Amino acid sequence: MIRPLAAEVVDWGSLLEVIVVSLVGGVGVTAAFSLAVLGAVRSVDSARERRPVAAGVFGAVAIAALAGCLAAIVYGIAIMVSK
Amino acid sequence: MDSGDAVLVIVVAVALAFDFTNGFHDTANVVATSISTRAVPPRAAVAFAAVLNFVGAFVSLEVAATVAKDVVRADAVTPTIIFAGLIGAIAWNLVTWYYGLPASSSHALIGGVVGAVFAAAGAGAVLGDGLLGKVIVPAIVAPILAFVVAGTAITGAYNIVGRLRPGPTASGFRLGQLASGGVLALAHGTNDAQKTMGVILLALIAHGSIPDAAEPQVPFWVVVSAATAIALGTYSGGWRIIKTMGSRIHKMDSAQGFAAQGAGAVVILAASHSGYPLSTTHVISGGVMGAGAAKRLSAVRWGVAGNIVVAWVLTLPAAALIGAATFGLTYLFGAGAAGPLVVTVLIAVLTAAALVRRSRQLSLAGEAEAAAEAPS
Repeated sequence: MIRPLAAEVVDWGSLLEVIVVSLVGGVGVTAAFSLAVLGAVRSVDSARERRPVAAGVFGAVAIAALAGCLAAIVYGIAIMVSK
Repeated sequence: MDSGDAVLVIVVAVALAFDFTNGFHDTANVVATSISTRAVPPRAAVAFAAVLNFVGAFVSLEVAATVAKDVVRADAVTPTIIFAGLIGAIAWNLVTWYYGLPASSSHALIGGVVGAVFAAAGAGAVLGDGLLGKVIVPAIVAPILAFVVAGTAITGAYNIVGRLRPGPTASGFRLGQLASGGVLALAHGTNDAQKTMGVILLALIAHGSIPDAAEPQVPFWVVVSAATAIALGTYSGGWRIIKTMGSRIHKMDSAQGFAAQGAGAVVILAASHSGYPLSTTHVISGGVMGAGAAKRLSAVRWGVAGNIVVAWVLTLPAAALIGAATFGLTYLFGAGAAGPLVVTVLIAVLTAAALVRRSRQLSLAGEAEAAAEAPS
């Protein structure tokens, strides 16, 4: 059977890895940072409305999400440097 | 110093000049989003991008290896061929800059080298499989991928923060753009500076300066000089942008800016890790369009997208043709340094003439605009 030229010469595994990493990394980091913004804004609003428990929970969400973003960036660069 | 050494010196100088113009040209892509959303003051954005471009050039050497090993047969290359390829890329960049076509410096560089090798050593010296598998297919996939990633990311972000007060939300994403803009500049350095490193590496192999040609390692001085050239170009290009950009670029909110920069950065970093030499211009444009299209399809300048496709289709063959013609011209002068010297002087004169003519045209256009706006 004759296979298309692209099937022979393109490393589809490597290209698929780029696609998956880009989708997971790009969408994941933006979602995590959006959660950090959500947590921070809601935490400030809750503190202003004198709801300390909610302010604490939202603050924790913000910190955890921000830590996730930073970890993803550091992990990505560490992988590149180690190759 | 014999004529072979002299040609090598000219090739390295021209390659670093190309790297400088690459940084100069691409500053707009890297910092535009941060400046347009007011996330970072222009001067700080440009300086920040220049430093991170420099750092990025040290992060990975996979792209340099691809350019040196997988596009043309290293044993068929001579420093004069590399010189002709570089001139093909510079000349095509000059033409597209003059006519305002958003062409990729990366595609021009690879096209120029392929054209010169083809003219000098025949089709057998061009590694078609590597060209298709490592350059052409990733070049098609990457901008579309950045478009999809940015579009999906901003849709998710709007779902998460859509009900929040806009003021603090925008401030939060502006802070985030400090990081996303920084990572984008770093990513730009990992991909673009390395193409020049790969070309210099090819010239060093051809000159016999690299002991292990089968598994060539990029010398440290090449990494440092290429990183410095692209960083200086980025910094120099920024002053023009600070003066002229401001209101010209498409306005986007800070969440869109964050998503666009994040998508561009992650696609370029992932591709650099796999050794794919991309057009960073096209990837960043894809990210910006994806973030715009997800909010409102009409927000995207589809005409710009069309120009990118035209430039994409034309760049590889056009730069290849100029690279081949340049090799023919240098060949007329023999194998010594005379040909490269003559061509270098010629391209310098052409560049100066194009700069003068373009600045006159811009000046006349400015005067006409001012006259039209003046009260009668």
